[in-house]
Amino acid sequence: MSDQTGKQLSKEEKDARFEAELLPVLDPLYNFAYRLTLDEDDANDLVQETYLKAYRFFDYFEQGTNAKAWLFRILKNSFINEFRKKSKQPAKVDYSEVEGYYNSDDVEGESGVASTTDMRTESVQDLIGDEVASALNALPVDFRTVIILCDLEGFTYEEMAKILDIPIGTVRSRLHRARNSLKEKLEKYAKSMGYNS
Amino acid sequence: MESKFTEAYPKAPDEAREANCEKVSGMLDLMIDGEASTEEQTFFNHHIEECVSCFENHQKQKLLKGLVSGHLKRVIVPQSLVQSIKARIQETL
Ligand SMILES: [Zn+2]
Repeated sequence: MSDQTGKQLSKEEKDARFEAELLPVLDPLYNFAYRLTLDEDDANDLVQETYLKAYRFFDYFEQGTNAKAWLFRILKNSFINEFRKKSKQPAKVDYSEVEGYYNSDDVEGESGVASTTDMRTESVQDLIGDEVASALNALPVDFRTVIILCDLEGFTYEEMAKILDIPIGTVRSRLHRARNSLKEKLEKYAKSMGYNS
Repeated sequence: MESKFTEAYPKAPDEAREANCEKVSGMLDLMIDGEASTEEQTFFNHHIEECVSCFENHQKQKLLKGLVSGHLKRVIVPQSLVQSIKARIQETL
């Protein structure tokens, strides 16, 4: 934190720090890119774009601060500016439409899973993972984003606010609506699988 | 879970209790995300000890979060990606 006084790093120092501090975020960053674009090639491009920008602006990155949040923010901005326009997003959902009331015994697959044999448990686990993925992918990208950031990557509300450039109150309400929407989609699945009541 | 549900709730009449239910349901996300303050946690935990429906709602909300954090498969980063990144960085210098 001491050397953010604009002192130029040598190229070797810069490359070493870049590798040590930013490359370890590659896995979560690629996963985030994939969940945003839903396409491996686009995710690949988006991550490369993000690291190029991060390298270019590395002097502005304060050592010891949150590298992961910083990279996620760059990636999110790149996605909005360059990718979102051309990618095929699911049709916009009216928020009031997905406000759905969360009711009774729904996503209760897990208790059923536990009682089955190991092999069956494994395939049911896969099935649950697939179903969660498709429910999530069907959400509007803003909803998908907050759920990924919060539940998969474990960012705090404050970090999410910085990554998304929105107030914490908006993070909270968006997350709330996103979860309601996800519940609704998973509920339909749970019912169709006979998990319900 | 053996519930104290049928016992009379000594401190609050029904109306006050319903107001608490509303407050608690508005705190579900804060609680499962670890964002609630100590006071909020105390209030919340005290309420769900006494209220079965809020207790259940809390369980469901945790389950939902667990479905994403525990079941969503991570995608594998292509092996060539690190090399592509490094190569492109060197190109741009
Ligand atoms: Zn209650």
